[in-house]
Amino acid sequence: MKRSWASLEEFEKFLDHGGIVEPVDDMPREYRQAVFDFIEMHANSELMGGLTERDWIPKAPGLRHKMSVIAKTQDEIGHAHLLYMIAADLKIKTREEMMQDLFAGKSKFHNVFHYRAKTWGDQVAIAFLVDAAALVSQQAVFKNCSYGPYKRILRRIIAEEGFHLRFGEESVLRIAEGTEVQRSMFQESINDWWWPALQLFGPDSKPNDLLLRWYIKSERNEILRDRWIQKFVPLLQGYGFTIPDSGLRRNKEKDRWEIGPIDWEPLKQTMVMGGPDSARRISEASDSWKKTGWVREALEKVSA
Amino acid sequence: MRIYEVFLKADGKEEFRHAGSIEAPTDELALVLARENYARRAEGTRMWVVDRKNICVSEEGFIDANLNKSHRHNDGERVAKWRKSQRNKKSDD
Ligand SMILES: [Fe+2]
Ligand SMILES: [Fe+2]
Repeated sequence: MKRSWASLEEFEKFLDHGGIVEPVDDMPREYRQAVFDFIEMHANSELMGGLTERDWIPKAPGLRHKMSVIAKTQDEIGHAHLLYMIAADLKIKTREEMMQDLFAGKSKFHNVFHYRAKTWGDQVAIAFLVDAAALVSQQAVFKNCSYGPYKRILRRIIAEEGFHLRFGEESVLRIAEGTEVQRSMFQESINDWWWPALQLFGPDSKPNDLLLRWYIKSERNEILRDRWIQKFVPLLQGYGFTIPDSGLRRNKEKDRWEIGPIDWEPLKQTMVMGGPDSARRISEASDSWKKTGWVREALEKVSA
Repeated sequence: MRIYEVFLKADGKEEFRHAGSIEAPTDELALVLARENYARRAEGTRMWVVDRKNICVSEEGFIDANLNKSHRHNDGERVAKWRKSQRNKKSDD
């Protein structure tokens, strides 16, 4: 069932009419590359996120949290797994090549995974702020995504991210109801993670953004970012925490929160693997890949 | 390694649905890996995994709508017209 299009314009017309592209289709080269890059970055981010999550299994406070962290780790690694499958089906890179590029620092992953989670408070801030940010952007992609396999896999991923967000919300509640020490630990985590989480959405979308034109994304970065801000400012303040933004103010007429200027320099640094924890994270990921090599070898032996 | 397509079926009247794909060396391991990746939270009660190379795929257009076989799509127009005329007759009385 291979379809093809005479020109990029024809293809775009197909997309404008809600057309869904399947891997067997003869899609334009530029579109194939753009979808691939987007999914590869998503897959890398799930893997890097899953690995940080894993680090907290032995350190999570109490059995209940520990079990939640184990489940979350399995989900995130699972998301990476499914995404690498559909990325590989685009026949641009094999799974092996994607892994090698990630470990060589040649391919991207979300900015938030270029920072170190130092305390349990950080880990909760990630589950609360970052998983929510990821969820907001994944929902927007899912809504209108023109690439069939990605859209279908996102449905599953989004459902599971919902559990992570609930876990984050519950953990925040527990900390908020906790001791002064716990509360001040979490305030510090908010101070550290607020801006990276907010920058996960990226700078304002350019008017000619091809990801938007080809329905790989369906909403502009600034709109998603704002949606997240409107939700999380009151939530955190409701628990009695403060937002580390001196420019933050309430616009009463518009009934909205407005934030101060965003410093994009840290985001740029993470994009070139120059974030505070980029190098360590990448080498940890690479080590874990090597350490689990015996599993892949065993599977290869069975298949031979 | 082989690539398997995974299908899940929820209990009751739902049909099997394609869930995604998985890489595995044998049928047996494909079932295990598919369960771990696609069925961690009661996503279904039955599962099929099929080696991708065993799936027969139809050519483009092979199952497109048969527009010249309108008799397969009785639109009920004739009966509807008759009923309408009956109604009109009544209201004329
Ligand atoms: Fe995830
Ligand atoms: Fe998550």
